[in-house]
Amino acid sequence: MKTHSTLRSGAAGIAALVAMSMAGIAAAQDVTLEYWVYSDFAQGEALALQQDFIKEFTAAHPGVTVNIVGKGDDDLTAGQVAGAASGNLPDVFMNAQSVGAQLVEVGALDNLYSKWMAMPEAFRAQFDESALAACMPRPEELYCLPYTGFGSLLYRNLTVLEKAGIDASVPPASWADWYAQMQAVKAAGLYAIPDETLVFNSIAEIYATSGSTETWGFDWENRKTRIDPAIMTKVLQKFVDMKDLNTGTSRNDQATKDLFISDQLAFHTVGPWVNPTYAEAAKASGLKYDFVLIPGDEPGKTGGIRSYEMIGVAPGPNAEIAFEFAAFITEKAQMARWAKLLSRYNANAAAMADPDVSALPLIKVSVDAAHGAMDVAAPYFIDSVPSCYNATVIDFASATADGEYTPEEGAKAMIEELNACLAQ
Amino acid sequence: MNAVTAGVTPWTVAKWMLALAIAVVALFPIWWMINVVFALPGEPVSLNPRLWPTSLSAGFDKIHMIFAETGYLRAYAISLLYAVLTIAGVLLFGSLAAFEFSLFDFPGRKALFAVVMLSLMVPTAVTVIPTYLLTARIGWLNSMQGLVVPGLASAFGLFMLVQFMRAIPKDMIEAARLDGASHFQIYWHVALPLCRNAMVTLAILTFMQTWGNYMWPLIVATKPEMYTVGQVVGLFNSPLSHHTVDTVMTANLLAAIPPLLFFLIFQRKIVEGIAMSGSKG
Amino acid sequence: MSLRRHLPHYLMIAPFMILFAVFFLYPILSGFYYSFHDWNGAKPPEFVGLQNYEKILASRDFSRAMGNLLIYIAITVPLGILVALGLALLVDSFTGRWANFFRNAYFMPVVLPAFLAATIWRWIYAPNLGLLNVILGWFGAGSVNFLNDTGTMMYALIAVDVWVSAGFNMVILLAGLKNIPTELYEAARLDGANKWQQIVHVTVPMLAPVLFFVFTYGLISAMQVFDKPWLLTGSSFTSYGGRRNALLFPVMDMMGRAFGGVKFGEAAAYGFLLTLAIIAITAAMFLLRSWRERR
Repeated sequence: MKTHSTLRSGAAGIAALVAMSMAGIAAAQDVTLEYWVYSDFAQGEALALQQDFIKEFTAAHPGVTVNIVGKGDDDLTAGQVAGAASGNLPDVFMNAQSVGAQLVEVGALDNLYSKWMAMPEAFRAQFDESALAACMPRPEELYCLPYTGFGSLLYRNLTVLEKAGIDASVPPASWADWYAQMQAVKAAGLYAIPDETLVFNSIAEIYATSGSTETWGFDWENRKTRIDPAIMTKVLQKFVDMKDLNTGTSRNDQATKDLFISDQLAFHTVGPWVNPTYAEAAKASGLKYDFVLIPGDEPGKTGGIRSYEMIGVAPGPNAEIAFEFAAFITEKAQMARWAKLLSRYNANAAAMADPDVSALPLIKVSVDAAHGAMDVAAPYFIDSVPSCYNATVIDFASATADGEYTPEEGAKAMIEELNACLAQ
Repeated sequence: MNAVTAGVTPWTVAKWMLALAIAVVALFPIWWMINVVFALPGEPVSLNPRLWPTSLSAGFDKIHMIFAETGYLRAYAISLLYAVLTIAGVLLFGSLAAFEFSLFDFPGRKALFAVVMLSLMVPTAVTVIPTYLLTARIGWLNSMQGLVVPGLASAFGLFMLVQFMRAIPKDMIEAARLDGASHFQIYWHVALPLCRNAMVTLAILTFMQTWGNYMWPLIVATKPEMYTVGQVVGLFNSPLSHHTVDTVMTANLLAAIPPLLFFLIFQRKIVEGIAMSGSKG
Repeated sequence: MSLRRHLPHYLMIAPFMILFAVFFLYPILSGFYYSFHDWNGAKPPEFVGLQNYEKILASRDFSRAMGNLLIYIAITVPLGILVALGLALLVDSFTGRWANFFRNAYFMPVVLPAFLAATIWRWIYAPNLGLLNVILGWFGAGSVNFLNDTGTMMYALIAVDVWVSAGFNMVILLAGLKNIPTELYEAARLDGANKWQQIVHVTVPMLAPVLFFVFTYGLISAMQVFDKPWLLTGSSFTSYGGRRNALLFPVMDMMGRAFGGVKFGEAAAYGFLLTLAIIAITAAMFLLRSWRERR
């Protein structure tokens, strides 16, 4: 079909081809970059700002075109994995650091180390240290530039707290404090918290109240989990304690948000993406809420998880210019504008320190939340996590909460099972 | 069975109550969702189900926003073309082959048919990746032919049409042949009209399948210009989306409108078409 | 000579068979090839013999998924058809505008995208305050966590399934009902058959071919069930199957292994094990049918 139309266009086509190849010599960088982002980044005002970034970049790089393409979470991964298999990868793309290992495995991510080292020190110093370290599984290997991210927050419904007779002016200082408030809420006939055992990330959020990155995630060298049995026992006991206080819905369910909006649920641990819903509810129905840090076992310790999205670059002829683009959009100037417009946290520490940005309440709390939080599936970029892993964590957490195991047995059995899963 | 209305018996009352109750079960969830769309953002949706839309303007704002900010209208066109071309191809190629497999004998018939039927047992998820790699090698990524062509040889469609064509009496074929009809003419003028009901059913099935197909367009049509409705909706459906739920529902509801119209406009034709083929029986 | 005689036949099946060979047979065979290899799509496949198969057969998820599948199809397929048949008979007993209304109303859920249906039902199933629990509350029942209680999850899925698919099968069965000559009912009535006996002795036998079709189609789709349980459990590539894997099904596990773990070879092997299961179940059905016919 293609040949036919080329033949028909005849001499004109050949002339055009010649002209095009000559133009190619004149502007050495006549390329189109495919830039894949989460769908959130390709809609509304977020898209408008991204397009501003693109305009500024292409103005400085004549001959370069950038196509921004939005995709949903799993679709992004599926598209990149399939694209790697068929040699049709986007040139520069977002994804979560936690799927980095799969993308390295299929050859979707270029090692950016030498390009990175060639950047000025001032650029390299901008990023959040832990977010950057997560992109570097080994010395001289850098698979991403940290981009956006989140630390989980504790949303509090102030009306519910008031009904339960709780002084909401200070956030709970420790787990004991928080748990006492949950019980008071229950005593007032309301729900304290969603069922945190239903989703991997909410289990991690509660684990983080006692544990830390070092006792969570993977020991890839020995293919074992880093979960500590003593800490897990303690955490499972918390799930047992919360059993009668919770809504039975998961942190991600719409029903959970609805209970919160309709003043029946006191606490919701989740990321900043829920805020637009609650802000709309505040406007529509007068919901009174705030967001604070998730308290840990001792005062000063924070629970919750953090996770970063990254920008990766595919290996290939466009890798140089794609990296330049990636470096441009992750730079302070752009990330500060991004943060200001959308009130969303990101991994550019310099941008977060900008006074205009750090004055935004959601960002202010998010910076502290991310610093105190636990990495959700570290270390990244080494090996892909088998699907049995998350499922096992959820299974044993919920089974223990149901009373099928004592917390001690549950922790022991869970860790054995996790090690067996990783050993496969 | 019908037209025996001899006054109101307890049976009639029970029948009406049952029919109406089922209609409520079928329709209420949809009505509820429409109410969610036509409501202000931030109102609870899963509790105290709202019985009426509360803000028509908010709903239209959302619809307008979605049409303005995503390529929804273009996606309608892509999905429609994808469905129509697939239906045409599946019906044509399937009926041609079914005509032969069901009514004639030729060397290799049984073996070929058995292979096709065996492939029916292989879940489509198995073939997605190899078919994708093949399509990529041909250079059909992000093209209409890449979406449509790999789905045209529907083993299920062949199975269904063969089932129906078997019922065509052999002497009708013979009679047509004696009248001097060519092989193709027999197919076109005798066999096709006789299995119209099966063709209609297969067309609806194929429409529903292509309209709801998600995985294949997702990996084959990666460029926004080639997004199907399913993919555009997918942009809203991610669990960590910053959108409020009513916007997500609006995007989804819009996806249901073309199939709904398709059915409401053609339902009489569909059912009558199926029922009219009284030739056998 | 004989080729000449058969040529028209081959010409007529050629378009289908060529497309079939290229886009179905070849991918199936290459999938079969990959199922004996360690392969992630990018690096060259590495031959590992039966390792993929052994690994899957040994995995607990596989037996769980297969077990779930058996229970699921054993309930959802017959139940779906029974409900559809009931609806068809009910609609058929009305005439004119009301027949139209009920038919359209019952068909409506069919056209909803799977995501939409799943979302609506997640709201309906919500514990404590979801619609269904509110209604149960009127009768004094305690709250049921339909989508997280391992005892109810399967039935919650089946209910959604029937809600979505019954309307479609109903339309097909309705068409079949219209094809049954009224004289047969007259004759049965003259023989003194009541309504129920008419259904059993006239309707069902006359509908047999249509029922067989609906059954086969339902079975094939049910074996590959994917999107509804995936969405109802809020699954993603890294975590799927719902609480304690109570709604884990083979195709879900397969997709997870393919895109979550980038193990395409293993996913292909999984697919062929599922194929074997499908062949076995279909063969069993056909045996059952011929055994019943012989009786």
